[in-house]
Amino acid sequence: MVDTRDLLARLLDEKKLSYCQDCGSCTGSCPMAKALPGRYNPRRLLQRVSNDLPELLRSEELWLCAWCYRCTERCPQGIQPTEIFLLTRNLASSEGMIPRNPKTIMRQIMKSGRSVNVPEDFDEWREGYGLPPIGATISPKAIEEQRKIFGEELLRRLEA
Amino acid sequence: MSEYLLYPGCVASVRELGYEMSMRAVFKRLDIGLRQRDDFNCCMPACLVHSVDYTRGLALTSRNLAIAEEEDLPLMTLCSSCFGNLSRAKYLLDSNDDLRRDVNRLLGEVGREYRGKARVEHVVTTLYKDYGPKGVKEMSAKPLKGLRAAPFYGCHLFLPQRYSGFDDADFPQKLDRLIEATGAESVDYHEKTSCCIGCGSFFGEVSEEAGLKLAENILDDVKASGADAVVATCPFCMMQLEVGQIKLREAKGKEYGIPVIHYVDAFGLSLGADSAELGLDVRRISVSPLLEKLGRN
Repeated sequence: MVDTRDLLARLLDEKKLSYCQDCGSCTGSCPMAKALPGRYNPRRLLQRVSNDLPELLRSEELWLCAWCYRCTERCPQGIQPTEIFLLTRNLASSEGMIPRNPKTIMRQIMKSGRSVNVPEDFDEWREGYGLPPIGATISPKAIEEQRKIFGEELLRRLEA
Repeated sequence: MSEYLLYPGCVASVRELGYEMSMRAVFKRLDIGLRQRDDFNCCMPACLVHSVDYTRGLALTSRNLAIAEEEDLPLMTLCSSCFGNLSRAKYLLDSNDDLRRDVNRLLGEVGREYRGKARVEHVVTTLYKDYGPKGVKEMSAKPLKGLRAAPFYGCHLFLPQRYSGFDDADFPQKLDRLIEATGAESVDYHEKTSCCIGCGSFFGEVSEEAGLKLAENILDDVKASGADAVVATCPFCMMQLEVGQIKLREAKGKEYGIPVIHYVDAFGLSLGADSAELGLDVRRISVSPLLEKLGRN
């Protein structure tokens, strides 16, 4: 299996982070930094991935990136902060540190195949608007397939 | 008749029925076929599922690509987040053999395989590629003359360019051109290409606070531009900008009254469809000002 740590190491690899000019294009393009000034800063977050990892893995800040990719698109050195943050979260996850809200949504996905709850009688609603049925969940076989792909260990991690 | 495989998406098919109605009505008028299945799983947002396990998350996203290959049809997504996620998976698997091998090992356990042939489209990318501004203009039976529309691009329709390949990453233009083709004016404003964080933030109070702040910035700017309506491409953006108006009314007494529609609604109106056919009467913010301006119903 591809090791997440290897993928992350490759992205952070060989001087790549040292190419960061501290220009702040990432933070300047970041909607979350704009909405939460002083509380979220991808430029600093990126530095913490390499020099403050254990502490970072326990922080909420790591999970705030909304993956809009503006920083990745604009970094003059081709650093990919978005993918780096996603991979760093894998390290937090492997240590059992997944925040409560994301966990709740993922449990919903594993149970029904959808990220939002669908009431049992929802198809009647849809019919009222002339829309075909979608079922309260995706097909049972599809749910079984996705649970198998996700695997027992991760399913347990979501329940913890 | 062209045909696509409908990838319904969770938010579009559960929370944005008006958008789905509009898409179906317009595609029917265009004679575009939509094949349906009941076994697509959630696109598994990278910011959630791939964040918990990169490879298994990608495999779950790619299961949908594998199904599209079995059907031998391009996927039609309604949601820009689904579009972005599926495009990202395709890009990563097509450019990293190791990752593809691992993902296929997992897919193999459920009898599926990603071969690299899947195509991912979105309602807006399809309208642009299959018809384009020229085609839209030619079909426009009732041009939206006098309407000032504020395009709102969202993120994953065009970002990052290497995944979606749809438009310029810094100054996207295609939605503007499509809007102009309906006869409406495409209004320029600062927040046109900004992010609403609707699809990528799941932190309860923190996300709500951040989302509301961004919605306020966007809505203030739309208001200042003098636009009659926002024309969006993504159901998440539509929700954020509509629910944002309701919350800002409650929290700050701000009255925007800005209709938020999808591009397919604008296109449908220019084709001559009425608001009921396009599901415009089930929007959270009334579209009456827009219809009045056009003298339509």
